[in-house]
Amino acid sequence: MKLSNKDQLAQTIDQTKDLLAHLENNEIEDAQELIDSLASDGDDDLFIEIGKLTRNLHEALTNFQMDSRITDLAASEIPDAKERLNYVIEKTEAAANKTMDKVESCTQRSDVMAKDSEELLVEWKKLYNRELEPGDFRKLCKKIESHLEKNKNDADELHSELTEVLMAQDYQDLTGQVIRQVITLVHDVEESMVHIIKMFGSMDGYNQAKTKTTAKEGVEGPVVNVEKRDDVVQGQDEVDDLLSSLGF
Amino acid sequence: MKILVVDDFSTMRRIIKNLLRDLGFTNTQEADDGNTALPMLQAGNFDFLVTDWNMPGMQGIDLLKAVRADDKLKSMPVLMVTAESKREQIIEAAQAGVNGYIVKPFTAATLNEKLQKIFERIDG
Repeated sequence: MKLSNKDQLAQTIDQTKDLLAHLENNEIEDAQELIDSLASDGDDDLFIEIGKLTRNLHEALTNFQMDSRITDLAASEIPDAKERLNYVIEKTEAAANKTMDKVESCTQRSDVMAKDSEELLVEWKKLYNRELEPGDFRKLCKKIESHLEKNKNDADELHSELTEVLMAQDYQDLTGQVIRQVITLVHDVEESMVHIIKMFGSMDGYNQAKTKTTAKEGVEGPVVNVEKRDDVVQGQDEVDDLLSSLGF
Repeated sequence: MKILVVDDFSTMRRIIKNLLRDLGFTNTQEADDGNTALPMLQAGNFDFLVTDWNMPGMQGIDLLKAVRADDKLKSMPVLMVTAESKREQIIEAAQAGVNGYIVKPFTAATLNEKLQKIFERIDG
């Protein structure tokens, strides 16, 4: 019942006058009927208000259900993401070690090849300079033959080891997929958090924080957005310039 | 020349050891942070220290400061090889007495150049 409404006010005054008249005239039944009808008018308004509240409550609950996504995120997807990122660390480490195993083996092999060739060259030059003893020529020929054979085998070995180095790079595809999944997850978490801020917090504060660049204290590892930062060097040249400006 | 290579990632230690070996430095040992490195330095007749900055346990900058504060070690050349690239950090390392500073990612040529520079200065 809205007494601020003019018609409603006039009607209520009339009804009150009627009620008073009924009571004065001892018309109890009529008075009772009028009181009941007045009360039910109030009930209608009450029901409307309850209706509104119910709708609000329903919306809040729906929103809250949407944020049960947060429960999923916290309970399973984030722990899962941690496992995925550990997988990335393991895969990249294994690939780096496998590559280095093969590279070390290749460099050792190439060192031996270089050393053998060098020794052979010394004797080959002796042949040119006619410094070779007659009996040594046959020995040199044998040496060259076995050197060439060994070289061929070594070249084959190098090739197969380099192929293994190539294959060790397959981690990039696998870890790339995993990292992309984690990026999607981080995006979902961000959306859920913005949603919560919209419902319970201040969007002004959110927008302010968004534009604020926080200066990072202490160690932070590799800087991935060098172009957006003016407190970091862009490479070794800038390190050298800075150090020489300090008298290094 | 006995060199200690300190980095928390074994792959990076291995890369540096390989590059050092190519440059003729075959006597290298490894540690994974300052806490393991410092007692090795104090006990082990090292001539040169190559260290990362960001490590769990004792960080490289604190290891550098500890080396400079130790009477037996204070003149040891220290080369920092790190991803830390803030100007204030480079200045901090310089003030703490670092002999060279390389930012990751780096090349074999850079490592060679910085080592030569340090040796020239020591000899000269």
